[in-house]
Amino acid sequence: MQRRTLLQWIAAVPAFFSFDSIRLFAQPRELTPAAIAELREIAPTVLPSGLGAVRAAAITDKFVAWTRGYREGVPLTHGYGHPRLQKSGPSPVPGYISQLSALAEEARAHGSSWSGLDRETQRTLLDAAFTKAGVRNLPGRPLGQHVIVDLMAFYFRSSEANDECYNALINREVCRPIAITTRRPEPLKKV
Amino acid sequence: MTVHETDICIIGGGITSAMLAERLSELRPGVHIAVVEAGKSIFDAQNRGQYRQRAIEYGEHPWPGDYIEDQQANGIISMTMAVGGLALHWGGACNRFSEEDLRLKSMYGLATDWPIAWDELEKYYCEAERRLNVSGEPSPHPEDKRSAPYPQGPIPLSYNLQTLKAWAEQSGLKFSPLPMARNLTPFGGRGSCCVYDTCGEVCPSGARYSPDFTFKQLIAPKKIVLHDRTLVRRLIVDDKQSRIVAAQALHQDRPDDPIEFRAKTFVVASGYCWSSHLLLLSSSTRYPNGLANSSGMVGRYMNGHRFIQATANIDDQTFPGQNMTHSLISRQYFRCAANQPFVRHDTRVWESSAGRDPRLRSADGKLLFGDELMADWRSRTKGSSVRLRAYVDVHPSADSRLTLDASKKNRYGDPMPKIEHRFDEATMSREAATKTHVLGVFNTLAKASNGRIVNTSEGDYLDHPGGGCRMGTDPATSVCDSYGRTHDHENLFVVGAPTTPTGGCTNGTLTFVALTLRSAQEIAKS
Repeated sequence: MQRRTLLQWIAAVPAFFSFDSIRLFAQPRELTPAAIAELREIAPTVLPSGLGAVRAAAITDKFVAWTRGYREGVPLTHGYGHPRLQKSGPSPVPGYISQLSALAEEARAHGSSWSGLDRETQRTLLDAAFTKAGVRNLPGRPLGQHVIVDLMAFYFRSSEANDECYNALINREVCRPIAITTRRPEPLKKV
Repeated sequence: MTVHETDICIIGGGITSAMLAERLSELRPGVHIAVVEAGKSIFDAQNRGQYRQRAIEYGEHPWPGDYIEDQQANGIISMTMAVGGLALHWGGACNRFSEEDLRLKSMYGLATDWPIAWDELEKYYCEAERRLNVSGEPSPHPEDKRSAPYPQGPIPLSYNLQTLKAWAEQSGLKFSPLPMARNLTPFGGRGSCCVYDTCGEVCPSGARYSPDFTFKQLIAPKKIVLHDRTLVRRLIVDDKQSRIVAAQALHQDRPDDPIEFRAKTFVVASGYCWSSHLLLLSSSTRYPNGLANSSGMVGRYMNGHRFIQATANIDDQTFPGQNMTHSLISRQYFRCAANQPFVRHDTRVWESSAGRDPRLRSADGKLLFGDELMADWRSRTKGSSVRLRAYVDVHPSADSRLTLDASKKNRYGDPMPKIEHRFDEATMSREAATKTHVLGVFNTLAKASNGRIVNTSEGDYLDHPGGGCRMGTDPATSVCDSYGRTHDHENLFVVGAPTTPTGGCTNGTLTFVALTLRSAQEIAKS
């Protein structure tokens, strides 16, 4: 390739990529260490305390793994009755990072880390963040609106949380012998 | 052009196609059967656990590529177009209709009679149940007598459904476990149920019947040849006679190489939507209104049933999540005395968590998180929610139609279908009384256990749709005879849902299969 041709080719490259696509390429696909650290700090306050630190951390790690497993542009369940084609949106990770950073900044503005804030201040900050993100209800699964409500949905919509709530080993949507379902579920064994 | 010669060409790859192909291969061993399906094969049962998990965690569709984006209908209830059809993700409900469905005209002066005697159809219900390995319990109503037992006993009732059965039966109605095509022990190359509880989406063990298993079992020993991803666009009639001589198709990957299937017999097994659509698309100078349509009935009398649902709150305690896809059914109102206002419906009961799920805000709008959220959730789990539903018998008018929509075409320029349901005058005139009756039944049920109905709603589409090629004895008012043989073309059959004159008042799949198995006897003779 001659030098002039090479220069022409290099000059033409930006025309093939819109500003949005360049920005997309620059978007992180994984939560940063700082974001994960912030998430770990917030998690115990938005998950039930009865889980204990170890289980809360494990749930947070699973949620982080969930973000890694997210796939963009994949057909979602079509629905029945009035079906329609919908595809998964862009990765929520860039938004999550911004939201965690914003919460950390808000906490600092109150002169503390998140865990050092009193409960009502945490509530005020979360309420404002959820409102800004358009969150109205606890979603059925993480939908990418706000990282904290998605973490909460990740846990509270799980079979594990259902069992905790009812204090019963229901094991919703968990593969098990059908005969087990014929009996009143056993109470959970307290660890 | 690629030409395939065969004895029987089945167009469509859903549950009726699978049952027909299986039965024909038994009745006529060695006969050449081609099954042509527009959608792809998804024969990867080993991946279904993973698909299910991603559906739960990410909302992803658990049947990758089971649709054709530009081959969709206005008014259709599912986008699925793949080998296995809608029965890839049906719930597995296998209720029978009742004799009343076949004798609406003679018993009540309504709609029309089916051209089949109940005892005749009942034999094929037994065969359909055997092939689908239905799990069920005999109905407590003597009118629902059976000539053979269910191939499996009933799905064991969960603790929740046992509780709800005891509650519901205080109303005086008798309830039974819903019959379902769900293996309790391995059968037909499929596993047994282990309560994944996602029957209506995907069953990782294969316990809930889906037609892909049947097709795989027919393909391996070369009992059929499956042509998937191949869209049949029109049927061609012999120049001089009225026999169908070919089905013209295109493969998705080779649109420039037309395919012609030549056969002695053609069977349209493309479901309630695409069967009428193909016949209408196959118009020509000689048949300007499409094939099998000298009566003008193709695409008319599109049917299905309405549904009314409710949530009841009761004091009895259940534990949502035990087996949410199983239910109870009462057939009490399948029958209606001839001297009473006409109303027919099934009555269904499910466990539910409606109104008892975790929530983000308290009743006064306060944001909840952590322990507060769990405490609020727990405080609302005393007692139970119960989901109630009735599928109501409604009858179509001739204007309940599937038509070709010239404004919406696929990549080949074929107009896509448009379905608009309409009811006959008698149905319209009793609509308010029907609703009053059903809500009355729900309220009667709710009385026990300090219960009350907390919300009601009506479906805005017709479920379990059928029609469009209705069967009958009069060629002037129907498309085909009771075997699905079209009145106009002796070697062209339509099977399953499209042939039903009315939609009944409970899930239709078992009936579609039973009708198809009966058609198979006649098709085999040809």
